[in-house]
Amino acid sequence: MTQVGVDPSSPVRRPRPVPVRGRYGPRRRAWVGLVFVAPMLALFLAFRFLPAVGAVWLSLTDYRLSGRWEFIAFDNYTRLLQDELFHQSLLVTLTYTLIFVPLTVLISLGTALLLQQVVWQRGFFRGVFFLPYVTSIVLAAVIWKWIYDAQDGLLNAVLGLVSIGPIDFLGSDNSVLASIAVTSAWKGFGYSMLILLAGLQAVPKSYLEAAMIDGASAWQRFRYITIPQIRPVLFFVLVIETISAFQVFDAMYVMTGGGPVRASYSLVYLLYDSGFKFFDFGYASAIGIMLFFIVLVISLVQRRLVGRDDD
Amino acid sequence: MVNLLDRPSTRRTPSSSSSLKPSRPVARLTLPTLLALTAIVTVLPFVAMVLVAFAPPSGQTFPDAFYPTRWTFENFTRVLSSSDIPRWTVNSLLYSLVSVVFVLLFAAMAGYAFAKKRFPGRELMFWAFLATLMVPFQATLIPSYILISRLDWVDSYWGLIVPTLANSQAVFLLRQFISQLPDELFEAAEIDGASEWKIFTLIVMPLIRPALATLGIFVFLWHWNDFLWPLVIGQSANMQTLTVGLATLQTQSVPINQIMAGATITVIPSLLVFGLLQRYLTDSITMSGLKS
Repeated sequence: MTQVGVDPSSPVRRPRPVPVRGRYGPRRRAWVGLVFVAPMLALFLAFRFLPAVGAVWLSLTDYRLSGRWEFIAFDNYTRLLQDELFHQSLLVTLTYTLIFVPLTVLISLGTALLLQQVVWQRGFFRGVFFLPYVTSIVLAAVIWKWIYDAQDGLLNAVLGLVSIGPIDFLGSDNSVLASIAVTSAWKGFGYSMLILLAGLQAVPKSYLEAAMIDGASAWQRFRYITIPQIRPVLFFVLVIETISAFQVFDAMYVMTGGGPVRASYSLVYLLYDSGFKFFDFGYASAIGIMLFFIVLVISLVQRRLVGRDDD
Repeated sequence: MVNLLDRPSTRRTPSSSSSLKPSRPVARLTLPTLLALTAIVTVLPFVAMVLVAFAPPSGQTFPDAFYPTRWTFENFTRVLSSSDIPRWTVNSLLYSLVSVVFVLLFAAMAGYAFAKKRFPGRELMFWAFLATLMVPFQATLIPSYILISRLDWVDSYWGLIVPTLANSQAVFLLRQFISQLPDELFEAAEIDGASEWKIFTLIVMPLIRPALATLGIFVFLWHWNDFLWPLVIGQSANMQTLTVGLATLQTQSVPINQIMAGATITVIPSLLVFGLLQRYLTDSITMSGLKS
């Protein structure tokens, strides 16, 4: 339980193949191991590796619904760079990420801190905060779409009691991304909260007590002991939330359909439309490759940052 | 755990710090109150959903929904008869349950091989499995769809279920768990003349039951809540899952009370899983957080 706390520099640990100890079942019958991996391996080859290779290949062709295609090298990519819709969707995705990530990390950290401080009914409250996580983003989107509704919505009814509004949360360029970000944060914060709570509980009590005796204020203890101690977990949460923000689609599809006028038209939305509305499979695949590189860069930057912490 | 609420008071700035380490009597109540309020805000959307689902079908949803005397099942009966919810429920259940069974079986087999067997290409395969975690699902959405259409599996259970069985997280989790089992166990069984399949089904599977239970819950929830893949593959109304059905329902001119009734129906299995097995879920996330 204390791994993270004792070793603040613990990098993202990845599972490694376990060395097999001699005697029992070694190369005598190598085929046994192969037989046991075979079903999963076949699934991976067909439905993970083949599509991964296929994505690269498709992005270099003009593959169409008819199945006809020609090799067009990097034309899809040059087209992407000039496509205003691509610029727009990239901007929307970035803006959404800049709203969603701080929001969800603050809510997760806030609730984790509250749970850590208040012992009363901790299990119950932990369960309540985790509840939205087990539901689907579609359900969250359907409920919140109604909450935000300009005419019959719950939020405007409440605001109406204090003579504010009505505000068209999903119908205005200025509020649509923030409104969707709140919905996604509500749906998903329970997961990050649990991870942060585990990190908080692993901070050695003696550090905090020593600081307290030295007269450090609560803020100082939080800033100079808790935060550095939970840094690896905090980074982990930041990265998974950033990656999930770049893949946003479901909530926008259900709540706004990308509108108003593409104000919530994300990168994955463009990918989906290019593929399944315009059947421009080559172009859609190129967007997918871009998405892959964005996610890869985020992961690498994170490893760099955490790695520097090790020194 | 030491209760920090009982610590002696120290000097601190009033506003920002009070949310961290309370010590004065007022502060002792502040945090639990804040916690309770946050909890209320968290469940409020669910409560609103249920209230609207039971409200009288005609008229305003607010504040009508808050008069319990007028509650009715009418929205449920209407939405059940006018939409394909029963069929979507069957599809969602098939998608989730069949996937759970085969993901657990195949992942346990692969996990067992990676943990306890030696065979050519083991390391390479393992790293290749690991690498697929880096590829976002959406990045390969188009080629996956083309592959499914080439197999003529679009709009079929095969197309819906089979590709989602390639689950690397499941393999890693079970490999981790199985590698902790003592080798002596397998040696003893082998000396007793047990066949490889017997060892797997009678020794490995029962011993990893706790991991299978936790993983099973997660796989169920992933599939039950999944949206993009069922949206792309289930093209006719007959092949849609509940999430896709719900999304299409709210684009049609269905009254909000009925949409909320439908939404309430979709959330029941998730809530059942949550109510019965919450501890498994939260504990395993806590563990994964520590490992990360």
